[in-house]
Amino acid sequence: MSNDVKVSVRNLTKCFGDLKVLDNISFDIKKGEFICVVGPTGCGKTTFLNLLTRLIPQTSGEILIDGEPADPKKHNISFVFQEPSAFSWLTTQENIEYGLRIKKMPEDYIKQQSDKVINLLGLDRFRDAYPHEMSVSMEQRVVIGRAFAMNPDLLLMDEPYGQMDIKMRFFLEDEVIKLWKATGSTVLFITHNLEEAVYLAERVLVLSAKPATIKAQVPIEIGRPRKVSDPAFIEVRKQITDMIKWW
Amino acid sequence: MNAKSSKLRDLALSVISLLCLIGIWFALSSSRPDFFPTPQMTWDRFMELIEYPVSKISVLGHIWASLRRVAIAFCCAVVLGISLGIAMGWNKKIRAAVNPIFEALRPIPPIAWIPLVILWFGVGEFPKILLVFIGSFMPIVLNTMTGVSLVDPMYLSVSRVFKANTLQTMVHVVLPASIPAIFAGMKAALSSGWMVVVAAEMIASKSGVGFLINRGSESYDVALILCGMILIGVVGALLGVVLTLLERWFCPWTTKKEK
Repeated sequence: MSNDVKVSVRNLTKCFGDLKVLDNISFDIKKGEFICVVGPTGCGKTTFLNLLTRLIPQTSGEILIDGEPADPKKHNISFVFQEPSAFSWLTTQENIEYGLRIKKMPEDYIKQQSDKVINLLGLDRFRDAYPHEMSVSMEQRVVIGRAFAMNPDLLLMDEPYGQMDIKMRFFLEDEVIKLWKATGSTVLFITHNLEEAVYLAERVLVLSAKPATIKAQVPIEIGRPRKVSDPAFIEVRKQITDMIKWW
Repeated sequence: MNAKSSKLRDLALSVISLLCLIGIWFALSSSRPDFFPTPQMTWDRFMELIEYPVSKISVLGHIWASLRRVAIAFCCAVVLGISLGIAMGWNKKIRAAVNPIFEALRPIPPIAWIPLVILWFGVGEFPKILLVFIGSFMPIVLNTMTGVSLVDPMYLSVSRVFKANTLQTMVHVVLPASIPAIFAGMKAALSSGWMVVVAAEMIASKSGVGFLINRGSESYDVALILCGMILIGVVGALLGVVLTLLERWFCPWTTKKEK
């Protein structure tokens, strides 16, 4: 893994009128890194994400991608919403190819990318299925595949497994790691589930209550595959849990 | 197995209820067949209708005359109605400007336009097509507008995240997302259009299924009236079936496949 900084957030502040939601947030994401962001409910995680996607403007500070101010036209930022958002009128394959078609990529590249993602997800049997013919978790996998197929500079995921049961979560978490490794994408994953954060991340950003600041950055140096029952795993999880409890 | 047997049961029930309807018809008509012809008499009259054209036009010719008026008007209504509906659903300013007109005109049944249209445009083909257009334009515009304005905002966010421009969002997201609503509007429009054409033909026409009924009424040929009514029902139902099949072919994602 290289040490190049992919995304650099400098003194990011966001106010809605008098309400300060994000206060002077600075951090770097290395190229190909997997970062999880945890924080108390209502601490401004969604605002934080919306700033990164450039859906809303920041009050001050800057977001740099590859050293340049983040620009939705130039940089390729993908987003996975909390709710499954596969287009109901497209099949699995068409959904996965959607973003590539919007970008007007060459046809053979589109085919190659969608084949790769479909194989990684093991969705070959459901290639021509519509979302309503699948379970919610499978639909979410299609959505995640759609985001990875873009080879995004930065992939933002907003609690994508928030609605899944525990068994499905483990399966999907392993899968997202597999996709991340296969594509080398840079991922920022928001969750309120600390176990999930420790399981997935190379580094966990802990946010404080509103106005959110970065309370701590915890590198997770546990080899993969990780085990939730591993004493080292439990130790890190406890450390992060305590940080959140202390507010 | 279970689904199959319940399907068979439903079919049997449908057949029984239709037989009951014909049975009631028999019972009611047997006392005064000159006033209310029996099914047998109506059938005989229908056979006669096939053999002897009314006003030099065969039955199929009359059906075709009505269908042609509906088809022309319906196609115009689909093209113009969907375009206007999309514009109104997408752009709040256009909706604010145009919607009051629709709200004002909507409560007027299309049939109420008949005297005015005949007065202005006479009794030729154009006024009938215009009347059918009036009847089918409204439901298409309103359904399209509703469908477009109710597109799940999440789909629009996804489209924005993938940096689709407005045209791409329109073609790849808004249109497919609102197609079920558009089809619902087209179905309502087609049945309304079919209703209006019959009414228009009953008032001023020399061809069409509405004309058949009117001819029956003028010549006290009650069986002919019934034939016309049944024809209208059958053709109207077939039109609905055609549109449903078209919808299934056009948007396969709305029909659930057997798992």
